[in-house]
Amino acid sequence: MRERHGEKVKKIFIEEQYCIGCRLCEIYCQVRHSKSRKILKAFRKELQSIVSRVTVEEIGYNSFAIQCRHCADAPCVDACISGAMIKNENTGVVICDQDRCVGCWSCIMVCPYGVIKRDISGRKVASKCDLCFGEEVPVCVKNCPNEALKFTDTDPDTASAKLG
Amino acid sequence: MEKITKSKTDYLIIGNSAAGVSAAENIRKIDKTGGIEIFSSENFVNYSRPLITYYLSGKIGPDRICFKSEEFYSRNNIILNLSTAVTEIDTSRQEVITDRGRKIGYGKLLIASGGKPVIPFTSVTGRNNKAAGPGSEISRLGGLEGIFTLTNLADAVALRRYIEENSISSASILGGGLIGLKTAEAFLEMGLNINIIELSGKILSASFDEEASEIISERVREAGSSIFTGSTIESIRTDGGKIKQLTLTGGKVISCELLVVAVGVKPDTGLVRNWGIKDGQGIIVDEEMRTDVQNVYAAGDVTRSHDRLSGQEKNIAIWPLAVRQGAVAGKNMAGQNASYRGGFFMNSVEILGVPVISLGLSSLEESSSRDIRVYRTRHPEKQVYRKIITRNSRVIGAIFIGAVERAGIYAGLISNEIDISEVLGNISGEDFGILQLPADYKKHLVVGEGVEV
Repeated sequence: MRERHGEKVKKIFIEEQYCIGCRLCEIYCQVRHSKSRKILKAFRKELQSIVSRVTVEEIGYNSFAIQCRHCADAPCVDACISGAMIKNENTGVVICDQDRCVGCWSCIMVCPYGVIKRDISGRKVASKCDLCFGEEVPVCVKNCPNEALKFTDTDPDTASAKLG
Repeated sequence: MEKITKSKTDYLIIGNSAAGVSAAENIRKIDKTGGIEIFSSENFVNYSRPLITYYLSGKIGPDRICFKSEEFYSRNNIILNLSTAVTEIDTSRQEVITDRGRKIGYGKLLIASGGKPVIPFTSVTGRNNKAAGPGSEISRLGGLEGIFTLTNLADAVALRRYIEENSISSASILGGGLIGLKTAEAFLEMGLNINIIELSGKILSASFDEEASEIISERVREAGSSIFTGSTIESIRTDGGKIKQLTLTGGKVISCELLVVAVGVKPDTGLVRNWGIKDGQGIIVDEEMRTDVQNVYAAGDVTRSHDRLSGQEKNIAIWPLAVRQGAVAGKNMAGQNASYRGGFFMNSVEILGVPVISLGLSSLEESSSRDIRVYRTRHPEKQVYRKIITRNSRVIGAIFIGAVERAGIYAGLISNEIDISEVLGNISGEDFGILQLPADYKKHLVVGEGVEV
């Protein structure tokens, strides 16, 4: 069980063997972060300019989807010069406050997963997974047709006790 | 001087920037009740030093220049002493003396005093000029108007005011490094005409290679700035105490109503001047961030610490390492065991809309040594340039211009010393990703826990 201050903390786990590279996670992430949050409206008007915070990597039959790992000791938080990148001590979630971000890309420079992106659609800011704040299950997980992403407090690979 | 008052605190921190604040935050996480006092010679509750050029240009206002709120200090019960410079450290009595006549005893002391600007020498000629005379140091030119350094917020505030009050329309910048270029960018955004004067043969020589430098130079020139490389200021001509004209080495004369000296920053070790540290070198710390004096720690730009690429002790004055060193120092000061794995040089900025990142030994070429290999990707039409440098099949440096996405993957490869001999083919490609990494490391990233860079 993953715990933080006595509370269970859920994380997204990647089950790469089940990923079929359909990229629905990317689409739903874009829709979730669109203004309308409606797939058709977003597709017609916004999709080109919305950054997906989850990335599907694919070579041949191998693929997986990856988004912010919300690291215990997050290098992006250390590197942030504007106070925009903050780790919530209670939930463990790493959030980029885009109002504070100045677009220096220090977070991109240090993220070993390469999961922070440049959003240059308006004022240039860093864009990353916010675990779909407000949703019970992140949309990339909810809409994955083959359960290649799991949102759980138990590591499906090891099912062992680890601190997040 | 006011009457000397005495007090005592458990944790005394000199410096209120990245390292000092990070240390205080980490101490408080462990020791909920111990007294923490931060001393800062500046008069700002909190601000991020790398953001001062953004403030200068007006890109961000005073409300957004802080990286921690005022509430951070009160919530963590940290006493912040502003406009108070520590002038002396008595390590045998474990106390410091401030310029306000206070003596404060400490249980543990952290020196996080940062850096100070390097000031070159030049000669000054002119009328009504108190400071004129060959060999005058610019910092001592108190009577001269129009010469600035730019390493703290007070500098930026003064510079902004000077430009407005004197309706300045052009400026010269001595130094084509990162601070110089960020200053140039701010000035260009303010509508000024710029001359950049750089001693070496190219701008950004410390952190980029020839090709990258040329791409950025072109962008800077396009934006309306002149670059004079291979030269420095031979003499300054003044009139009525104001700067008027520069003569560069080689004889070129340019008119100048404002000069910013941005040739570099060195560790501010003035407080420990009796420790025998050479000028320009930092305080040596071990991996717990201890100095060799009992109960005295140091972190951030004032230190010389482990450089993972050279294996030597080096002053690597960058924000992420200052934060990490401060955290390690704070944890150890509060009685935990934390160690600093070392770091390596890295920098990320946007210069005139072009994102640039440099990691590690980025200027090395194959001609530098037999075991060095260099992989490049170029798309000049998109202003994209990527260069990856390996030594014995391990990444030791990289440059990204234009396409900086996923640069951190390479920082991870450097940090974790991953053997990439099987994946070298596409190593500099824009589409290079985790899927192409060696199987073990890929598995570690995809199904493992967070890794430290």
